[in-house]
Amino acid sequence: MITVYRLLAFGLFLLIWWTVSLIVGPNLIPTPLNTVFAARDLLRDGKILEPLLSSLAVYSTGYALAVLVGIPIGMLMGGIRDLGRTLDIYVNALMATPRVAFIPLIILFLGLGAEAKIAVVFLGAVIPILIGTYSGILNSDAELIEMARSLGASRSQIYWRIMLPGALAFVVIGLRIGATIGLINTVVAELYTAASGLGGLLALYGNTFQMARYFVVILALSLIGGLVSQGLRALEAWSSRWRVTAGN
Amino acid sequence: MNPTPSVVVSHVSKIFKRAKDLAPVEALRDVSLELPANTFVTLLGPSGCGKTTLLRMINGLIQPDSGEVHVFGKPPKPGPRIGFVFQSFRLIPWLNVRNNVGFGLSLQGVGEAERKERVDHYLKLVGLSRFADVYPHELSGGMKQRAALARALVTEPEILLMDEPFASLDAQVRELMQMEMMRLWSERRGIVLFVTHSVDEAIIMADKIALMGPRPGRIVETLDVPLPRPRWDDSIKMQRDYIELRRYLWDRIREMVTQDPSSDFYAGEPDKS
Repeated sequence: MITVYRLLAFGLFLLIWWTVSLIVGPNLIPTPLNTVFAARDLLRDGKILEPLLSSLAVYSTGYALAVLVGIPIGMLMGGIRDLGRTLDIYVNALMATPRVAFIPLIILFLGLGAEAKIAVVFLGAVIPILIGTYSGILNSDAELIEMARSLGASRSQIYWRIMLPGALAFVVIGLRIGATIGLINTVVAELYTAASGLGGLLALYGNTFQMARYFVVILALSLIGGLVSQGLRALEAWSSRWRVTAGN
Repeated sequence: MNPTPSVVVSHVSKIFKRAKDLAPVEALRDVSLELPANTFVTLLGPSGCGKTTLLRMINGLIQPDSGEVHVFGKPPKPGPRIGFVFQSFRLIPWLNVRNNVGFGLSLQGVGEAERKERVDHYLKLVGLSRFADVYPHELSGGMKQRAALARALVTEPEILLMDEPFASLDAQVRELMQMEMMRLWSERRGIVLFVTHSVDEAIIMADKIALMGPRPGRIVETLDVPLPRPRWDDSIKMQRDYIELRRYLWDRIREMVTQDPSSDFYAGEPDKS
């Protein structure tokens, strides 16, 4: 049933898009049909494939680094209370700072190439992943910890068997927020350093009024975002498969 | 010939500090208690009399400020020799029933084959064999507490500490669980220290009742329960000994509660005239 509703909503969306493009003129907003034609052309002459792969490479490398750094640091901060208390105000301050503010600095150190872009993605994604992991461990269930102690569990057993598995849902939330910010920062980095990838195409087509092609790039970005977020939702469902299922 | 009791609590006091602007709470004052081997003892008292604190102290989860606790001649250490059953079940939600029951064994490093065998035995004993692969959220309250009981029993503890284990169950399930507990205990004795605020539960389960009073928490009186076992059926509640013991305990508790200024039922200063 929900699939039918979703299709109806999609139809409505297309209708609104089409109406708006007729009102403001297809030179500013292309019709859905023109966008489809543009997508076909771009796929046929291969002009979108190379930028797409380049963006995906930047995104996935930066995100993977963020996971590899964010989760262990969050685990350390959660496991060693004094370390967590020392660092958490700085981490929160960094979370509140727009990390794109660091782009000029990053360019100074890493130049305009892929390394700089990966650094921008990494910086955007790592903080929410770190905070998710850290707060998951902080939120562990005191009653379960006491239960484990009563059975003679050591501190490290309590950490690995109770606190860390209990933090999993928070970690996944951090991963999801990190994935979203990472994708945003991918495009921002491609616009603000040497133009390349899908961000570069956006600039190119936007500046030269090729609006149908411009829209294709936007749709490609939404597609990536949608797929990544679906994948992480599947991870979330898996990580909390023992919970009461309250519908999807 | 009187062998040393397995659990000896002598002159124990405990004060909990609270946030700056709140007065500290005197949880226990000069509490002494002995638990002889193979005895079922209930700790009875109104809320706020330190029953849970005393239990956690005997487990070694917290230390007394003064006085001493000895279990098998030594200060207690949490572990497989002392089982603990909590009111809130405390099953690990991401483990199925089998792994919850085997949790203590896996902490000790008991191998998988032996663990499975011992877990299966206790699952059967509490009637949960069919639910071994189910997650806790799929269980009813009574079944959750059976699983928690099996988890406490599977390490073969010599002492079982139970903190109002049936208080969150509905009245019928509670009575059935009481019967179940007595059946288990008749098969597998040992020391049980069972905290409750239900007078009936305290009498029907126990060989010995320690009556506690509130603020500061202290033991007011210990009484032997003169009723014969087994006490499977309800007719026990019509025996004269039962009725008299029940009335006596209720009078004592009512007295304590109405004279406790921080209780909802405080009746004011006794009339001096």
